[in-house]
Amino acid sequence: MEASGVVFKGSTEGLSIIVPEEYTADQLITEVSGKIQANARFFRGARLKVTYHGIRLSADEEARLFKILDEQSGAVIESLNRSGTGAPPSAAMSASRRGQTPAPLRRFFTKGQDESDCKFIRTTVRGGTRIQYEGSVVVVGDVNPGAEIVAAGNVIVLGLLRGMVHAGAGGSRDAFISALKLKPTQLRIADLIARCPDDPDTPGVYPEIASVRDGMIVVNPLYERS
Amino acid sequence: MGEVIVITSGKGGVGKTTTTANLGVGLALQGKKTVLIDTDIGLRNLDVVMGLENRIVYDLVDVVEGSCRVKQALIKDKRYDGLHLLPAAQTRDKNAVTPEQMEKLCDELKEEFDYVIIDCPAGIEQGFKNAIAGASRAFVVTTPEVSAVRDADRIIGLLEANDIRNPRLIVNRLRPDMVRRGDMMTIDDIIDILAIELIGVIPDDENIIVSTNRGEPAVADAKSAAGLAYRNITRRILGEDVPFVDLTAQENILTKMKKLFGFKPA
Repeated sequence: MEASGVVFKGSTEGLSIIVPEEYTADQLITEVSGKIQANARFFRGARLKVTYHGIRLSADEEARLFKILDEQSGAVIESLNRSGTGAPPSAAMSASRRGQTPAPLRRFFTKGQDESDCKFIRTTVRGGTRIQYEGSVVVVGDVNPGAEIVAAGNVIVLGLLRGMVHAGAGGSRDAFISALKLKPTQLRIADLIARCPDDPDTPGVYPEIASVRDGMIVVNPLYERS
Repeated sequence: MGEVIVITSGKGGVGKTTTTANLGVGLALQGKKTVLIDTDIGLRNLDVVMGLENRIVYDLVDVVEGSCRVKQALIKDKRYDGLHLLPAAQTRDKNAVTPEQMEKLCDELKEEFDYVIIDCPAGIEQGFKNAIAGASRAFVVTTPEVSAVRDADRIIGLLEANDIRNPRLIVNRLRPDMVRRGDMMTIDDIIDILAIELIGVIPDDENIIVSTNRGEPAVADAKSAAGLAYRNITRRILGEDVPFVDLTAQENILTKMKKLFGFKPA
């Protein structure tokens, strides 16, 4: 890292961004963006609580910084705070995401998987396609072998699931995967991996749901749980 | 204004070149002015399958590089009226041509021909990109094998990403006896995965090997089962509604005998 400029520091608490006091918000954002792009691999899939030190940002500037972090790092940004303020993350962040007036932030994944942004896909997801999303994914169609869906939230397939699905890719074991017919090459939830039993090719005739119980991915018929 | 159709598959050895040759001859026999383009630069085969290898003077690369006019490079097939071949270069590689050049070439050829059929190389790299650049329709060839179907699925995704909508499916080398025994994927299994519309099913036919080696496409052979299947595809291209023959429902000797003696088939 350069002697001057913005410094990233990792800790068990999350990521600290140390900013020289004379910096403007624009300088900060440009440098942060550059640093993240240079180290994108490092951040991918991580869940970060970010604090910044040194300067004071307006709600709007903070939202811009959040957006850069969120979109470019590939990490799930749980919160962004100025150091010393123990308050919940600024409301401006959620406003910037949803384009609404500031409201109390309920950032996804902090309270289980119940709420998150959602991506809808209305075609067959074919082999070789990779869908990656920082939220939940709903596929209206089949997911074919060789396709990969990686979501920080839940994954629902309204069709036959034959590909690979990774739900809770940010580390949440509360995530679930559900499909009308569940015949995946592999299922992953958070850090757990499961594959289909090697029995003859009999696709499930009823909708099923995969979730984590006692540290293992288990698959159950969907109607039992409703 | 003609139509540009690319014959592709992803996997190698499933019968793209054979299909291209047969559909080309089939269309020519139906009186359509047809040109076949081999885009498999460096590994050309279509000229061999067509039996025109010894007549190549100029090739695809010469055309796009401007070393000759398109007309000069086209080989006229004397056996079939209206059929032409634009062969690939053998001493170059796929990077000798760009998608833009292919698009321009296809636009030029479809002014003059009813059908421009492009034989695509295996794979999804430069050669594939070149082959699909000028095409408005695509036929995806697969065999009833899991690996070929996987690749076909990938190819369909790439075609759709390149705005070639509604590709049609050709299932090649189907063995009805194996399907009946449950040892081979059925047509329904394949369509289930690929979710595209079928345009033809070609039964496995060892005469194809003989005819490709001789350079005489099977479609012209009235007795060949594969030839019949290709003729049916040709008619479907031309817009005819040709019913699909259920190859797996062939009669065995017992049902034939029963029919002979007036029993209703079970």
